[in-house]
Amino acid sequence: MRPSHILLIFLLLLVVIDATLYLHARRLALDLKDDQAIQAIAVAGLGITDLCVATEARYTRHPAVTDPMAPFMDHPGAIEHFPTGSFWNAPIKTNSR
Amino acid sequence: MIPKGLEKQFNILDFSLSSLWRRKLKNLGIMLVFAVVIFLLGSFQMLTGALTNSAEAVLENTPEITIQKMSAGRQEAIPLDYIEKLQSLYGIREIIPRIWGYYFDGSNLANYTILALDSDAMPSGNKLNVTLAHGHFPKKTEAGTVVIGRSVHDILELGERRIFSLFRPDLSLKSFTVVGLFSQQTDLLTNDLLVMNLDDARDLFSLPPSVVTDLCVYVANPAEIETIAKKIALLLPDTRVLTKTQIQKTYQVVFSWRSGFASICLLTALVAFAILAWDKASGLSPEEKREIGILKILGWETGDILAVRFWESTLVSAFAFIIGCTAAYFHVAFFDATLLRPIMVGWSVIHPPFKLLPSVTLADFLLIFTFSVLPYLGATVIPAWRCSTVPPDSVIR
Repeated sequence: MRPSHILLIFLLLLVVIDATLYLHARRLALDLKDDQAIQAIAVAGLGITDLCVATEARYTRHPAVTDPMAPFMDHPGAIEHFPTGSFWNAPIKTNSR
Repeated sequence: MIPKGLEKQFNILDFSLSSLWRRKLKNLGIMLVFAVVIFLLGSFQMLTGALTNSAEAVLENTPEITIQKMSAGRQEAIPLDYIEKLQSLYGIREIIPRIWGYYFDGSNLANYTILALDSDAMPSGNKLNVTLAHGHFPKKTEAGTVVIGRSVHDILELGERRIFSLFRPDLSLKSFTVVGLFSQQTDLLTNDLLVMNLDDARDLFSLPPSVVTDLCVYVANPAEIETIAKKIALLLPDTRVLTKTQIQKTYQVVFSWRSGFASICLLTALVAFAILAWDKASGLSPEEKREIGILKILGWETGDILAVRFWESTLVSAFAFIIGCTAAYFHVAFFDATLLRPIMVGWSVIHPPFKLLPSVTLADFLLIFTFSVLPYLGATVIPAWRCSTVPPDSVIR
């Protein structure tokens, strides 16, 4: 068997794996659509403004409605000391005034 | 019948594969490291993209306008009198006062989010019970009742118990009865949440009855949200007025992989890899140089030698790319992005499960491809071209 034939078989294997993952993604998207319909009710009914991803600091738990000065008043002299604050981008200027 | 040009390329491909196999340890090592860098970059991008997409999908129904009172640059409780002032503005449909805040559970070192509002007045408020795994939302008449998120239930180790207590600021205890538990489907929003009546939240936080945390405003015509927000800002100059659009925009940038510190680290790793590849390839080993010289003596042209190097680099980088991206999907979709979770949740004690659809877009793949595969091709083919233009007798001597 030529080396290029072995390569072709390996490529086919990868194509099959990735095609399976594509089908998985489509099924997961359908499942999550049902979840998102329920999440949308929770958001509307409770007025939720943020995702619950990082709960360590209030400006990463609620970046959309947080106090813009929050990182500076958590610790004297420390602009940022929570890990997630370093890895997340700063929220855009949210004051409409 | 295979065309002659294609047959030649197949032969060169066979030669390249044999050449790669001869130095399999080195080439597999390079491919593995390359795949790991692409895997990390791809995982981060798929995870942050998934979170951004989820935020975009579910935060469409956030309050149209949120009003917070600011004092000395900090947010503070807003007086209920402000509702009276806002009544004068034409176009406002509903103003709903809300109390929310954080409760630090010292014994478990966890931060809970407390939320209290009259949910019956909210849009979809009558459908809220579908968000619960069991139970119902606290009624106005049910004092001391609460609906909790799944992580709160686990951390408080409630099990079958329904009663627990939280400390007021003066360290006296306030007990609550759990009347509902949020379902797993809303974990991304409600995992650390305790929802209760306004009076209970006032009691827990020792807030006077005349204030709340913020006001949720709904307008009659959604096209007028921005206009009404500006009018509110003029009418109440000591407040911060947030519109739904601003809240949604926050999530378009907050997880942006292009701007985070983590992506800078990952890009640095990629650049380091490109430098390593360049360094290795530019200093071709005497054996590789001799091989090129022999091939030229045997009648190979410079173009053929370049084709061999091109195939070798393409195979290594393309396979690293495909394997890295496939592994990244597995990592995010099946393993809840375990490696990146510490970055996303930091020191949080409450760890919401990331049941997310990895964000896979052609634009992002092209970007990773451009950042990874193309520099590698350049870093390996150019030195080979330099070497192949040298007279063969000087190389093999």
